[in-house]
Amino acid sequence: MQILQYLINGISIGAVYAIIALGYTMVYGIAKMLNFAHGDVIMVGAYISFCVTNYLGLPSIVSVIAAVAVCTLLGIVIEGLAYKPLRGTSSLAVLITAIGVSYFLQNAAQLIWSSSPKNFTSIVTMEPISLMGGQLVITGEVLVTVAVSIAVMVGLTLFTGKTRTGKAMRAVSEDRDAAQLMGINVNQTISTTFAIGSALAAVAGVLLCSTVPTLMPTTGSMPGIRAFTAAVFGGIGSIPGAMLGGILLGIIETLSKAYLSTQFSDAIVFSVLIIILLVKPAGLLGRQVQEKV
Amino acid sequence: MLKIDDIHVYYGAIHAIKGVSFEVGEGEIVALIGANGAGKSTILKTISGLMHPRSGSIAFCGQDIGHTDAYKLLRTGLAHVPEGRRIFLQMTVQENLEMGAYINKEVSQKDLDTVFDYFPRLKERRKQIAGTLSGGEQQMLAMSRALMSHPKLMMLDEPSMGLAPILVDQIFNIIRELHKAGTTILLVEQNARKALQIADRAYVLETGKITLSGTGAELASSDAVKKAYLGG
Repeated sequence: MQILQYLINGISIGAVYAIIALGYTMVYGIAKMLNFAHGDVIMVGAYISFCVTNYLGLPSIVSVIAAVAVCTLLGIVIEGLAYKPLRGTSSLAVLITAIGVSYFLQNAAQLIWSSSPKNFTSIVTMEPISLMGGQLVITGEVLVTVAVSIAVMVGLTLFTGKTRTGKAMRAVSEDRDAAQLMGINVNQTISTTFAIGSALAAVAGVLLCSTVPTLMPTTGSMPGIRAFTAAVFGGIGSIPGAMLGGILLGIIETLSKAYLSTQFSDAIVFSVLIIILLVKPAGLLGRQVQEKV
Repeated sequence: MLKIDDIHVYYGAIHAIKGVSFEVGEGEIVALIGANGAGKSTILKTISGLMHPRSGSIAFCGQDIGHTDAYKLLRTGLAHVPEGRRIFLQMTVQENLEMGAYINKEVSQKDLDTVFDYFPRLKERRKQIAGTLSGGEQQMLAMSRALMSHPKLMMLDEPSMGLAPILVDQIFNIIRELHKAGTTILLVEQNARKALQIADRAYVLETGKITLSGTGAELASSDAVKKAYLGG
């Protein structure tokens, strides 16, 4: 029975990774850059939510909306100020800038909110469900997180598959020049992508801190890296891949913490990643694109 | 309709286009021929705004477009079918056509029907992923995609590239039909024989400069062109 409980916990944290990974994968797929500051946007989202509930005393749903609004704006501003001027330069320059943005956000958070941890109150008020005479407990957080991650995945799939803007994003992702020749404004499309990715980061931040309640300026960085791993694991650029990668990573992490070693859980997670990539370099659901000449 | 005046284009430090001037009048088919690396594609990219000239001017329908962003130009009626087709390989045929009509907000069934009249094969394959099409079908899709925006001027970069002779004939027939239907054509081709056959006027480009110009027939009978581009 214990293992089922671990599985549920793994799926729960995995679903958070999945939401973060979906943002990573969107931005990577369309803007062709690894936004290493993505994890820190999560942290900002969590702080905004924290402040709105604790200092303004507003209900948690308002705090989530505020977090999403602030992070969306933050994403657009970061992209416009830091990444857009580097369009067309080497991807290394963009990558280093992203790391810089990441440190900037962490230090800014430290200035504003100090480095002492805050105790985040979960936004979920649902009572836990006890199954099998209390042997198996499913918390409200688990249900909400899993439901949100599935909704986000389905939503993004429909958005990129059915809407005009979503299709334009896929066009930009495949061939930027050809997309421009179709009359698609590439800069605006990339900016929209960052807005969506950052909004997802805010949601992920609130759910992350509802599951693991300690909030610090560095709260986002490790989950950010794990989610990036999840995105690569599932096949970067692929929406279902990010979902699958996130859930699997959460399960592997939880099981290795439970049965192998708490200290080495990250080492185990990353070893699994290395092995998967050796066998399937494009990730589990990644597409091996073949171009016709 | 299109007037290029003494443009100079650079790739970093490389001076690729060294003062090219030419014109395309409304209703014409104008061909730009020349060897690999002469700068033909660069000129088209500069006209469509993917690159910008360092000096000189480009006017389309009386408007200066030398420094206009590429994505704004389709709305003025200038479509570019780039070298190598550049269709969206992971999207379906239908979605590629929708992208062609991106500026119209909605895809009209009438436009789709028009395109499918020209290229019936695409109709059968509309749900297929574009990457699985043959080379000829991909070229058809690239042209159809450009047609969806009702361009006044269509620039075609190497439409015959890599195609079997029978397909080349088919593509050139369709270019003629499009022209008859009122589209002005600027054609870049390595297949000089074919290009000169359908062109009203043509220019020969050599290492970034125009060296010869005249009507299609004049150039086709010129000794220099015969020797360099028509195999004697």
